[in-house]
Amino acid sequence: MTTPVLDIRGLSAGYGPLRVLHDLDLTVHAGERIGLVGLNGHGKSTLFRAVAGLTDWQSGSVLLNGVEVGGTRSQGPGRHTHEIVRRGLALMPQGDAIFPGLTVRQHLDAGAYTRRAWRERDRRCRDILDIFPPLEKLLDVAVGKLSGGERRMVSLGRGLMADATVLLVDEPSLGLAPKIGKTVMDALMRIDLESGAMIIAEQNLSLLEGRVTRLLGMHAGRLKGGGMTALPGRHVTGVEL
Amino acid sequence: MSWRNPQLRRDPAKGPVHPHLPVGRRRWWPRLRAHGGNTWRRMRYPLTRRHVLWTRGEYNPRNLAAEVRILDKRPLWWMAGLAFLAIAPLLTDDGTILSAASIFAIYAAINLVWMLVIGTAGITSLATLAIVGAGAYGGAYLSITYDWPWWSMLPVGGAIGLVFGVIVALPAIRLEGFYYALLTLGLAELCRVYVVQSRVFGSATGGMYGAATHIPDDLSDTGQLRFAYYAAFALMLCALALYRWVDGQRLGRLLRAAPEKNEAFAEAVGIDYRRARIQVFIISSVALGVIGGFYASHFKGASPSLFSMDSLLLMLAMIVIGGIGKAEGAVVGTLIVVAIDKVFIDLGALRLILIGAVMLVSVLTTRAGLFGIQAQFRAWREKKKSERRARRQEKGGEVVPEEATEIADKQAIYHRRFDKQMRDFLKTLVTDEVVEEHRLKPLGQHSEALSRLTNYFRRGPMADKYAVFTIVPMREYRVVALSGQRGVPPRLVNDRTYHSLGDAYHAVFLLRINDLLES
Amino acid sequence: MIADLPYVIVSALALWAIYGLLAIGISIVWSSLGMINMAHGFTFAVAGYGAWLAAQYVSDAGVVVLGAGILTGAVSGALIYAVAFLPLHDKPNFIVRSLIATLAISLLGTQALQWLFGPRVKSLPRVFGNTPLELGEIVITADKLGAVLSSTLLLGLVLLWMTRSRRGLEIRAMMQNPEGAALVGIGLRRTAMSVMAVTGALAGLASVLLSQTFFVSPGAGLQPLVKGLIVALCGGLGSIPGALLAAGLVGITEAATATWLGGQYVLMTQFGVIIGVLLIRPRGIGGLLDETRE
Repeated sequence: MTTPVLDIRGLSAGYGPLRVLHDLDLTVHAGERIGLVGLNGHGKSTLFRAVAGLTDWQSGSVLLNGVEVGGTRSQGPGRHTHEIVRRGLALMPQGDAIFPGLTVRQHLDAGAYTRRAWRERDRRCRDILDIFPPLEKLLDVAVGKLSGGERRMVSLGRGLMADATVLLVDEPSLGLAPKIGKTVMDALMRIDLESGAMIIAEQNLSLLEGRVTRLLGMHAGRLKGGGMTALPGRHVTGVEL
Repeated sequence: MSWRNPQLRRDPAKGPVHPHLPVGRRRWWPRLRAHGGNTWRRMRYPLTRRHVLWTRGEYNPRNLAAEVRILDKRPLWWMAGLAFLAIAPLLTDDGTILSAASIFAIYAAINLVWMLVIGTAGITSLATLAIVGAGAYGGAYLSITYDWPWWSMLPVGGAIGLVFGVIVALPAIRLEGFYYALLTLGLAELCRVYVVQSRVFGSATGGMYGAATHIPDDLSDTGQLRFAYYAAFALMLCALALYRWVDGQRLGRLLRAAPEKNEAFAEAVGIDYRRARIQVFIISSVALGVIGGFYASHFKGASPSLFSMDSLLLMLAMIVIGGIGKAEGAVVGTLIVVAIDKVFIDLGALRLILIGAVMLVSVLTTRAGLFGIQAQFRAWREKKKSERRARRQEKGGEVVPEEATEIADKQAIYHRRFDKQMRDFLKTLVTDEVVEEHRLKPLGQHSEALSRLTNYFRRGPMADKYAVFTIVPMREYRVVALSGQRGVPPRLVNDRTYHSLGDAYHAVFLLRINDLLES
Repeated sequence: MIADLPYVIVSALALWAIYGLLAIGISIVWSSLGMINMAHGFTFAVAGYGAWLAAQYVSDAGVVVLGAGILTGAVSGALIYAVAFLPLHDKPNFIVRSLIATLAISLLGTQALQWLFGPRVKSLPRVFGNTPLELGEIVITADKLGAVLSSTLLLGLVLLWMTRSRRGLEIRAMMQNPEGAALVGIGLRRTAMSVMAVTGALAGLASVLLSQTFFVSPGAGLQPLVKGLIVALCGGLGSIPGALLAAGLVGITEAATATWLGGQYVLMTQFGVIIGVLLIRPRGIGGLLDETRE
């Protein structure tokens, strides 16, 4: 059996005295496209942020491509994020972490910041434009002037530019018109994962249903659904989330 | 409050005799004596509705005695501190200490007024000393040139302060944050350059000296120093009263509701923050001008060092070490810095380095100065506790020792332990057969295992309890979770509709089983 | 009066160069690290002493003095980074606390310099020689020419580095969204280190240039700090073109006032101009980026 690209064991995380994630286990193998469903405030974004090392504190282990990137980090959020990102993680956060003053092309270049990706950034840039054709015309426009949907595409494209094996996409359809949200989601589904994996957090179940390899639910900081394989499976057959 | 054992009998020969108690009977009976409102009676300042001390009556969980607890002990500390400051000069006749004490009182007054702008209004204005200096120079000039008496310096200073207040308040409406800080810094620098170069204000002599003073010269040296100290102490008390009056009342509330970058929120709830800011600027500037007049009267003149960057830095060090936004921070910070500055005078320039180092250490390690340490330590402890709790093996709801110290009602701890054992036992009862049995006969007769399970589920707390919601009787049912709060409607659990009541019951049962197994 | 015009232009240019160096340092630090570096004046003074020490003990060749000033400035910038930025940057209330920390460094450092070197002023050797350049009737002294040329060169290099290189992209990304920058793999701390060192070097150069006309003293940093801050502010914190424009404006005002009105009015006219600019544009001339940072 190959090593999973992302292996989370007993992860708890939170902000100050508040504990958001409770002892969470998740194993993701290459080629998987996982949907993560749950209401607001149940820890979807916190899970992603904890993997990227952006939470206030966390404990438990996070293995990215077999390398430990988790552990207790109380020295401060964001201190190790860039190292984790260089190990092959791409997080496309909720509400677009974009740089309003840079142009689309500079954004995509910034996404290819890691040394190997930087050298072949032109090729990657073309790949991204294949996925998000509307960006072709906007390459030299400052991102601050784009519409919400275009910004989302830039944000996602920037994440894809990096050489990431694990793509964490947080609420790609949030705040977009339903039609545009659907386009963005379609683009995400078209991406060829090869040796990587993708987790999409989403509130709108209908956008994910039938299009992902696994669907997980998240409730009050715990995973439900696929995460329950650790429990004896016999009695949960009738339950859906 | 007393304890009485109803079964306790006294044998004259052997002392108290413990009888065999009937099973299930409590052995000790707490007898609550009526406290007659003592726990909630509070002292008020005469003619106002304000309380002297913030207290709360409560029953001590250990012996159920009615007690009054002081929730905020700061007024007591203030009284003790001020009483000490009032009698301290009588304990010494060291001239250095006495003059340092009056400087402390004047600077504390300035810092208290400054705190209104920098703490309550949250605007970094660095023109404070410039206003004090302007008041001092104006007063000294009139006193020297036209021979005005010392008491006229106070209103003159106030008037100059008013003018300056208007000048610094106007850009405060339009500029924000650092733009404003740097502008006021520039203003102070401008004043310094003007005063240093102006012949009228003593560019040749390095200041203006020879103004009238309130200190009577027929006293002995020590007497004069003591008199000067008590006058400065009275000034500090006035500044403290002003601080309380602005910070604790309506204006302070308005200002604290509209800190920088949150003006829009405040405006949305109808707070006219611009007006409030202008008001606080003008009030504090007039007060600073009066302090400036007092300063000129105290030192019999004024010197350009008032405008210099170094004195501004010293003032800032005082506020930062004590903690921004608190009156006690302003006073204690001033005390510390003045003590280092005046008492270690032998060290020369080294003492400024020492002050800088103290300031640096305090800003690097504390969030809000000396008086923010407690809150910061608590937040840190909470975070560590939370982390440690997470790192331990999951206890399934049982209280871990770190938590137990915070729970006042110890019964809750034992209840949770019992509940955990109960659930561990019940988990062993969940089998496919039991689930199947419930599916066939949701309402009974049930086997023993199943009835133990359902009994446990029935007992659960109302919050998040699953229930069946009838959409159309006999045809459509949904599963909901109760909110557990009056007036808050239940929420739907999933999007499934059940067509018979039995199915819905079974769905609820499955959800509960699921939650049980996960806990 | 008109006869003074060339002189005014020349000194305005020299002042523009020096203020530009200072203001851009402050501006870049604010926009990429979110910190007002009040210890910039300290860096300035330290660099002056570094250059003086080099001139005393190593050699008083122009290159050595300039190099020593720039190097000391960079080291001082790194020191400020280590003391004020590193322990505070992920703590709450960073902006105000770092401001106070840098102020404390400035207080401490100035006093330490006074303690080490004494209050007497020192003068630096002429870096650019003494031969003035004559263009027709206009005589340009060597130090002014050198100031304009060397600072234009260094500013140009810095701007090129900011816009072309990967590190420059890093800094601009960090300016606009620190968390986003971390998410594309940019190490906040290393980038901050290089920013502080580069701006420190700029201050060091400015220090050596300004010391051609003034002296090196422990408190020498105060005036340049206040002016640099005010120029940075007037140009809009975070905007490099804005800072350059504002430096020009302030330089012209200063040169014109000093020539036609008298030296004691310089500060007043400068403040008048700056307050005017700020009242019209509260965020400074190029104050657009500032909004994007928040």
